[in-house]
Amino acid sequence: MSEQENGGRLFFDEHQWATVEAAMARIIPTDDQPGAREAGTAEFLDRYLSGIDYVYAKPDGSGFEKLEGKRAGAWRQRIDALRGKYAEGIEELDRRSRARFDRDFVELSEDQQDEALAEMERPEQQKDLEQAQVATGYGAPPEPAMQQTSTEIELDFFPLLALHTRQGFYSDPVYGGNRDRVGWRLIGFEGPESLAETHAGRYTTRPFFAEEQIDWKKENGHGS
Amino acid sequence: MARKPKPEKVDVCIIGAGASGGTAAKVLTESGVNVVALERGPYRKKESFGGDELANVNRYNLWPDPILNPRTYRGSNDEEPREELFCPVPQMVGGGTVHWQGWLPRFTENDFRLKTVAGEVPGTTLVDWPISYEDLEPYYTKVEWAFGVSGQAGANKYESPRSKGYPTPPMPTTNYARKFHEGCNELGYDSFPTPMAALSEPYNGRPATALSAFAQQHGDPTGTRSSALSVWVPQALVTGRYDLRPDCYVHEITTDEHGRAKSAIYQDADGDFIEQEAAVFMLGCGAVESARLLLLSRSGRFPNGLANGSDLVGRNATFHEYSAAVGVFDDPIHAWAGGGYVAASSFEFYEHDDSRGFVGGSHIAAAGVGIPLPINWSLPDRPAWGAEAKRMDREYYDHSFAVGMVLHDMPQHDNRVELDDTVEDAWGLPVARITLNPHENDLAMGRWVIDRNAEILDAAGATKTYRVYPERVTGNCSHQHSTTRMGDDPDTSVLNRYCQAHEVDNLFVVDGGPFPTATGANPTLTIMANAWRVAEHVVRQRGSGRATTTAGKGA
Repeated sequence: MSEQENGGRLFFDEHQWATVEAAMARIIPTDDQPGAREAGTAEFLDRYLSGIDYVYAKPDGSGFEKLEGKRAGAWRQRIDALRGKYAEGIEELDRRSRARFDRDFVELSEDQQDEALAEMERPEQQKDLEQAQVATGYGAPPEPAMQQTSTEIELDFFPLLALHTRQGFYSDPVYGGNRDRVGWRLIGFEGPESLAETHAGRYTTRPFFAEEQIDWKKENGHGS
Repeated sequence: MARKPKPEKVDVCIIGAGASGGTAAKVLTESGVNVVALERGPYRKKESFGGDELANVNRYNLWPDPILNPRTYRGSNDEEPREELFCPVPQMVGGGTVHWQGWLPRFTENDFRLKTVAGEVPGTTLVDWPISYEDLEPYYTKVEWAFGVSGQAGANKYESPRSKGYPTPPMPTTNYARKFHEGCNELGYDSFPTPMAALSEPYNGRPATALSAFAQQHGDPTGTRSSALSVWVPQALVTGRYDLRPDCYVHEITTDEHGRAKSAIYQDADGDFIEQEAAVFMLGCGAVESARLLLLSRSGRFPNGLANGSDLVGRNATFHEYSAAVGVFDDPIHAWAGGGYVAASSFEFYEHDDSRGFVGGSHIAAAGVGIPLPINWSLPDRPAWGAEAKRMDREYYDHSFAVGMVLHDMPQHDNRVELDDTVEDAWGLPVARITLNPHENDLAMGRWVIDRNAEILDAAGATKTYRVYPERVTGNCSHQHSTTRMGDDPDTSVLNRYCQAHEVDNLFVVDGGPFPTATGANPTLTIMANAWRVAEHVVRQRGSGRATTTAGKGA
């Protein structure tokens, strides 16, 4: 089925899309400022799961890299694993919603959705979840690890969904989320207009440095 | 499979084109030595880098992909190893310097003699280095001036004597550097601008470094930061004596009938196996991968791995766990603006002090939050989702910064790198298995330093602080050392003081592997200074016609 016939969807079916979008809207809810729904995080995720055509944006923002060789193989393997987790996770979320509220997840009230999602973070998995959070730098620790040890295909459905919501909310808009840079506006991040600005070296953070410079030599009194 | 002609034997074959291999290549080629460099990863130019956290950090654009390059980890010999991307480093020309933070403090005199200063530490293999600060000082200066390091000589009152200042002044002051400095002043602590692999003003034909939020963990699209990719590799290439071969994965170093290193067997980008002979081999793969390559290079003469008669290859591994206290402030800090990169430091807790109840000390420094976005940032009491999580992102992200530490972990005999029994990488080779259990001294130092860091944040006016104590070692800052220790005694070290294998006189290791101890400071400046020193030694030996036949004590 073409993208057009599919309502713009590349991977999810209509029900899966609606379920993921509703769950993401509880993970970063809309209040006086936009949340995951307005940022387009469902579109971000749908694109990611569509294959290996949207893994890496070209660094100047002019489209996406074509993966080849071992790298392409690794990404096919990873995306396949993630697709399976989402298909099963969405079914599980609906199963739990029906068992508890007699309706699919998308038909629940926001409070009921929160309850259903909280149940997905079920206590017997709490320890695994915490370990996963440590492993991904998501949830803890407080400061980014100086390296990233994310192996997201090891995550369960819910932490995976929470991670991808966050990624879709804050990553560069080129990936289909962070629409109108709503994620960056929320937190006060004065990012580049586009990847091209950073790539060309036109983006500078100098205005956000200290107004007053430290004169180290003078203040320490023992210059070279 | 296509047959390719065997390449000609070369003077020196360097495995790896990162910080250490790049430095050695520059020094050797500029001295007239012909070098072949075999680099496992690609040769990526600056045009291939961009400000994209999702790609660079979460999707392994720069990090090794764990599906292709896994490692395994276990906490002790009794545990079942599990796959974990322990202490990865980018596998490409430039190595870790492609995406690093680039903090380049010098070690101090006592780093080279900590055992003498602090005495025996039970359960550790703490030793003095076979070389001193004075031995390295000229090379620190050479690297700082050739590489391009910004800093302020004398600003760190605990710095050891230096023969020359820095080529460019410190980088501009960030808000978080300023807060850190104020907190230190309040408590009477010395602080100084972190010496950095960046240029505050044009230098040596290069422009000043661009200030971007996308620095730490991102490649540099402007090529204005100092890195092996932007400095050493071009300097070596321009000599015409640097045959850099990217995408060439060395599987084994072979030996001849005399037990000397004969050739590197590597697989090129087409998958073809090629044999490269050389008079001298230098390993600069990082302490984990250099040890792994030696262990992979087994023969009748070296059944436990090349140059491993001592059984010390891979042992005493140290990894500098990074941890931090985080402070939240009323006023905006914009800590993302420095790219995690432009900072201030203190050596107030660097030197050993018996009264603290642990051995050693740590470089502490102000650091940004996010890399630079909150994709990979959080706080201990931030829920994983929901309205409260969103509130904390909104109110804390732009209002917080960290004071981080470099944990000076103690060397232990059983903390080691080995070959895994079952897991192979995408090239069919057994992966590195790390066995590591932190020493009580490591944990005690971590708790003590994090408490001091939190007090600095309090003194700087934080309304809330978080203390994150290192509880286990995960290799989270890519620093790695001591798997091929240098020393004067072949029974207790793998390499001599010139980083030449005791057992194989034409084999050198120039990464962090030769460091006998981890020290409490970021290692790369010292790795590069030491690689320069070793490369000069190789040039001298070659010039004297001794052809590196003087392995052994005091060579």
